Amino acid sequence: MSRRSRAQFAELLKVQGKLALREPYGALGLGLPIILLVVFGLVGQANPGTVGDTGLTIIELWIPTILIISFISIAISLPNTLVRDREIGWLRRVSTTPLHPSMLLAAQLVFDLVLAAAAVLIVIVGGALVFGASLHVQILPFAVSLLLAIAEIFAGGLVLVALMPSQTVASAVAGVVFFVSLFLAGLWVQPAQVPDPLRTIMYYSPTGAAAKAVLDSAFNGGPSYAGLLTMAVYTVIFGFIAIRYFRWE
Amino acid sequence: MSAAPAVSVQHVVKKYGRRVAVNDVSISIHEGEIFGIIGPNGAGKTTTVECISGLRAPDSGSISVYGLSPQKDRNKMREFVGVQLQESQLPPRLKVGEAVRLFASFYSNPLEPDPLLESLGIKEFANSSFKNLSGGQKQRVSIALALVGNPRLAILDELTTGLDPEARREIWSLIESMRDRGVTVILVTHFMDEAERLCDRLALINHGTVIALDTPEAIAAKAGGSRVRFAPSQPVDDQTLRAIAGVNEIERKERFVTVTGTGDLAGSLVNALAAIGIRVSDLEARTGNLDDAFIKLTSDGASSVGKGVQA
Repeated sequence: MSRRSRAQFAELLKVQGKLALREPYGALGLGLPIILLVVFGLVGQANPGTVGDTGLTIIELWIPTILIISFISIAISLPNTLVRDREIGWLRRVSTTPLHPSMLLAAQLVFDLVLAAAAVLIVIVGGALVFGASLHVQILPFAVSLLLAIAEIFAGGLVLVALMPSQTVASAVAGVVFFVSLFLAGLWVQPAQVPDPLRTIMYYSPTGAAAKAVLDSAFNGGPSYAGLLTMAVYTVIFGFIAIRYFRWE
Repeated sequence: MSAAPAVSVQHVVKKYGRRVAVNDVSISIHEGEIFGIIGPNGAGKTTTVECISGLRAPDSGSISVYGLSPQKDRNKMREFVGVQLQESQLPPRLKVGEAVRLFASFYSNPLEPDPLLESLGIKEFANSSFKNLSGGQKQRVSIALALVGNPRLAILDELTTGLDPEARREIWSLIESMRDRGVTVILVTHFMDEAERLCDRLALINHGTVIALDTPEAIAAKAGGSRVRFAPSQPVDDQTLRAIAGVNEIERKERFVTVTGTGDLAGSLVNALAAIGIRVSDLEARTGNLDDAFIKLTSDGASSVGKGVQA
């Protein structure tokens, strides 16, 4: 990038960031994990000991789910804002200037990555300091699992941006997808606590696979190749659909 | 006008499926003029300017904007063409000042945002969110975004639709001040008073075809014509009236004669009839305006509706 396009991108990032935080659900990605951390921390303190045969406490078991939920909360703002910006002609308007509208999208994604990193920091540091969820992670598999989870979930958000015809439809569909994703990620019940076939469905769903990979790399020595592969396949499929059907106007 | 035109549109055709939106349009726009594109809804005005701005590719024909092709050289063109799109909005929570500064950052030689907002009368709204602005204020923000890049060509689509009369007048003076700065302006409108007041030249488009291209006055005079009603002191036959310069049509009702035509119709009628001893009373004269011309030209075109729609 030339110096001018770097300056352009910095200005864009600043504005997109301010805008994102002004949206009604802008702070959801950081607010929800904090709330969930407190809730599950308190539930964990009220019910000490390990859950079933997992060998993990409640807070330990739910920390990966909370991480995945913060990524989902961040990604769900993509259809809610970008579909609107397309519908009201803003993306088209930007396309008449020297800035390509893909830069708007790039700025949005960079900002969302920063939010995701902040969420990871909050959940891990908060979980360890406040509730003593001791993570014995191997950094590399843990980082790979997190990055893959972010890529997969953001790509899923972009699929909605690409396919939803209008803001109204987008927010309705995004609402449903949001709660289904939270369920599959194990918010209400962990896959370890349910029988098959639900357990298998959760493990191989986009957000369930992500939660399991993070859990395994945090407490069980590392994610399974099958888990990582599941996420990679979803990322490729979502990415393909999002690119194939993306429209600026 | 020997200089090369700022914008040259040659035989442009654009279809949406089987519907022909623009059918063989050719226009030349000179540097520094305000060029109006008028016509009924769905006539192809917006499609024409979208082809000029590079937002759409014509199916055939060629367009040159300051020597560049809107399709091939779109990146270069974006630097000096400011576009105000019909019904384009900003993200609701974006603030006016942020939007204008953001757009300024996209260009290599932008105008200073603050004086621009000041001249548009929206400086006091710099910290307001777009969603809290009135229609007129939103429209001004939209103009600010089209101008902040310091364009040589500004394309303004349905600029004053939905504005109150006062806001329209203010925006008109703003457009005139752009011409004073040497900016070439393409103005799409369906308001005849706006076209008459602002435009140096006009193209009237109907069913995708240019049906008139001239100064507003010339179009009004040619097609709108003048209309004179009078009562002659004694009967006067059609032949005598037709011999008078400028007379085109004659209608009679009771003792009144109504003549439509061009030029100083009332003057030549009174003089010619006085010369043969006929006095004229109850004289009513009305000069044709662009409205009349518009209605006449577009309703004439209505008989050839089928022409434009064959695929």
